[in-house]
Amino acid sequence: MNLLEIKGLSKRFGGFRALSGIDLNVRQGAVHGIIGPNGSGKSTLFNMISGVYLPEPGSQIVFNGTDITGKPSHEIARLGVARTFQMLRIFEGMSVIENMMVGHHGLTGYSPLAAVFGVKSVRSEERRVRAEMMELLNFIGLADYAEMPAGEMSGGQRRLLALGRAMAAKPKLLMLDEPGAGLSPTNVDILLDTVRALQQRFGLTVIIIEHILKLVMDTCETVSVLEHGEKIAEGTPAEISADHRVIEAYLGREMKDEEVRDFLRSA
Amino acid sequence: MAIRKWALLAAPLLALAATPAKAQDGVIRIGVTLRMVVENGLKYGQMVKDEFEAVNAAGGINGHKIEIQLLDDECKPDKGVSNVNRFIHQTQVDLIIGSTCSSVSMPMVDIVTKEEIPLVIPQSTNQDLTKKGSPWVYRVPVSERFYAAVHAKWLAENVGKKVAYLVTTDTAGIGFAKQYQVYMKKTYSVDPVIEVQAQETDLDFRAALLKIKSMNPDVLAIGGQADAIARVSQQSYEVGIPSRVRRVAASAASNAPVPELGGDSVKGLIYAAAFNCNDERPEAKAFVKLTQTKYGVRCPDHDFSQAYDTVKIVTQALKTANLKLTAGSHAADRMAIRDAMANVKDFHGLASGPISFCAAPTPQCRDGNRTGILVEYTKGGKDYDTKLLARVTFDADFGL
Amino acid sequence: MHPVLPWLGGIAVLSFLPLITRTAYDQYLLNVIAINVVLAVGLNIVKGFAGQVTVGHVAVMAIGAYASAVFSVHLGLPFWLALPAAMAVCAGVGLLVGIPALRLEGAYLALATLGLAESVRIVISGTEWLGAAMGFEGIPPPHIGGFVMETHFRYYFVVMPIAVMGIYISFAILRSDMGRAFKAIREDQLAAAASGVHVAKFKLIAFVLSALYAGCAGSLKAHMAPGYLNPNDYSLQEMVTLLLMVIFGGIGHIWGAVIGAIAVTIINDLTQDYYTYRMAIFGGVIVLTVMYMPRGIGGMIEDFWVRKRFAALRAATKARQAAP
Repeated sequence: MNLLEIKGLSKRFGGFRALSGIDLNVRQGAVHGIIGPNGSGKSTLFNMISGVYLPEPGSQIVFNGTDITGKPSHEIARLGVARTFQMLRIFEGMSVIENMMVGHHGLTGYSPLAAVFGVKSVRSEERRVRAEMMELLNFIGLADYAEMPAGEMSGGQRRLLALGRAMAAKPKLLMLDEPGAGLSPTNVDILLDTVRALQQRFGLTVIIIEHILKLVMDTCETVSVLEHGEKIAEGTPAEISADHRVIEAYLGREMKDEEVRDFLRSA
Repeated sequence: MAIRKWALLAAPLLALAATPAKAQDGVIRIGVTLRMVVENGLKYGQMVKDEFEAVNAAGGINGHKIEIQLLDDECKPDKGVSNVNRFIHQTQVDLIIGSTCSSVSMPMVDIVTKEEIPLVIPQSTNQDLTKKGSPWVYRVPVSERFYAAVHAKWLAENVGKKVAYLVTTDTAGIGFAKQYQVYMKKTYSVDPVIEVQAQETDLDFRAALLKIKSMNPDVLAIGGQADAIARVSQQSYEVGIPSRVRRVAASAASNAPVPELGGDSVKGLIYAAAFNCNDERPEAKAFVKLTQTKYGVRCPDHDFSQAYDTVKIVTQALKTANLKLTAGSHAADRMAIRDAMANVKDFHGLASGPISFCAAPTPQCRDGNRTGILVEYTKGGKDYDTKLLARVTFDADFGL
Repeated sequence: MHPVLPWLGGIAVLSFLPLITRTAYDQYLLNVIAINVVLAVGLNIVKGFAGQVTVGHVAVMAIGAYASAVFSVHLGLPFWLALPAAMAVCAGVGLLVGIPALRLEGAYLALATLGLAESVRIVISGTEWLGAAMGFEGIPPPHIGGFVMETHFRYYFVVMPIAVMGIYISFAILRSDMGRAFKAIREDQLAAAASGVHVAKFKLIAFVLSALYAGCAGSLKAHMAPGYLNPNDYSLQEMVTLLLMVIFGGIGHIWGAVIGAIAVTIINDLTQDYYTYRMAIFGGVIVLTVMYMPRGIGGMIEDFWVRKRFAALRAATKARQAAP
């Protein structure tokens, strides 16, 4: 069963075609990778799915049986689509736990008026949210930093927090935009372990945009390749590795078979 | 925890409360609040302070020193209210002088009436101030109820009653024309020979002026702001309205851009005011010399002259008041000052006419100055000059 | 324990404050402070928490003040009804002010709200039945039966509890899920939306909430002796003073806004005797605040607290990062 079904997704910025007629299906429980060179439309694809950009007529995005084409971001998020950003966009002026609690916003259930009157249920709900978020922080290894302003944290911690905030919404689909960018190999491993653990524990479906081929090849079951806003290949990592067009997209010239093998081995 | 926070908050407030209340120690305390944000404001404020200091230097009021608390209200009613509250409750003054803007004096009148402190208004002209019927309020400047008709009366008696109006659509211009027309109608049952309305932003008034010329009026009344007055004045000669037709303009005519823009054409243009710095009376000459040498003001306006008169009137009243200035005499002293002010009669100062007060809490008694002056431009351009044309005095009941 | 109890305790403690003031002037000043606290705490909601620029807060206060005056003088409502009615009017105004915030940001939003601020003042100045430039007079003080709260001493027991409850409500809201949503919008709208925050809705709520505070402050101002309002008291100059309170106290800190309102009102008062230098002193305070403590007193306290609390944690992180 497919959790996400995209048909004919197109986006144009002025005269520039960022995406043209993308079809993409992501199976429930899969870890799907999306690769492609800079400007190939990967981030645009994420922004379309999460409702940042309005798609063009003829596009269709169905998530978990619901047509979410053209819905605003917050509604899509509440349906169970969480994402991270390439630039992280964590709330630097808020504490780590507060970041997590904002992530849990859609699942926090009390009215502001009840908060003003200091109703008991509000306090117990706040306690529940805090406890759950602490548990999640514990899981991603940031529990010690719960009260620290997010802006004070190191790069690796920020990436983990961004991941944690997305997880706080208890999503069905988690979209990670270049989760490994700027991380040392050790930190990439920590992050990947965390993602895998989360995926298994919560039965998540994950889509990863990545530059680092190794990360995608190691983690993903299926991979789509974008170039100039078009999907040029799709398959298992092994199938993709064998595809000449993919290699061209990355290196910009034709390669001999041995060269391809060498390149993939090095990656 | 919460208590500790509150204690923290309360600390600066407690520090605030440390200012001790003043005992009655033989000193006459006067609170002065004026609009001083403008450059001249600081100067006339300083002058008020200096003049009271001079009284102290000459031995004070029957041996009592005067203490002045001078505050700026920036023409903001809230500030004025705050200043007056400070005068009354913190400094515990015997008398308040203020303010410049009528909108500031307005709430002050209510407060002094309730708290029973005499208030002398040095500069505000709005007629409602004295109409409130407070026994504690005296006004030194000319009330606007007289002001508006100064030129009307003089022109009707000395020039003629055929008046043509050219008015731009701003509040000042319309108000000027309306009051002039009402006066002419009420006093002489005369209607305007013609009234032409123009836009505030108009540059060319010649079509309207040609129409006015054809009606052959005695007086051309120009309502509007400085720019419009200057242009109309200039263009009225271009279309050939003869110089025997007197040009009279709204109070904006006293602003420097009028003679500077209008050039030679403003010669003969008249407007109403409360003081003219070319006044030939010796006391006026001495005063202008004082502002020139001590405060660097070449031609003091009526804000200066009225502040000066206020000091002199208050000094005179204080000298006749029977003040105890001891602990417990506060209320009695305030009342004595109030009653002494009511006894000021025929005070001759810089004001255009004598100032007299009386005891009844009515505008007739408390609008002390009933004389306005007419000023005429004798020369236009950058080095423009004016002269005092006439003084016009009204009955105490006028305009009520 | 119900969370409002400590605040009721605060009201009880503060009730003794006017007893230890030396003169009625200090009591008057306490009332002014209380009104400014309501005003600053309200501005802090929209500016400090939701991060929306507005220079229209004083104009909304003016609308609240005049609405309350009209309700009590022209319609004969007692203060206790005129106050909530004026706040309701301001809530509507807040909604209108908030609408441009859905499309505009930063300087453009400032310009839009500036337009509102100036037009309110100009419209009042030209409206005869609101007293125009001469002001609105004769607004009655609150009363309970025959007990009229006209003196500064009595009025304190109207404004102080309202101010304390205003602080409490601000805390209750801003420490709730909604407060976090506001902050998320301030920090990053895109990420807030991706977390499920309805950005447009909460922006409007922030404007409405802060307008309720402004309206409350306006009404309290209107009914304070001598019961007089004038459009001149609601100009950009007052807005700058108000912004200074929030900036000085620390944007985004509720106690910061309270401390800022108290400090600026007192500085304002103490400098009144030195009118020649007053504006210079004020300008100096602004410049020094922005230069040396851009996050205000609240920010300084927070920095100190954070540094102390996380010194060990951060050292550990650094050590881990230094290790290969």
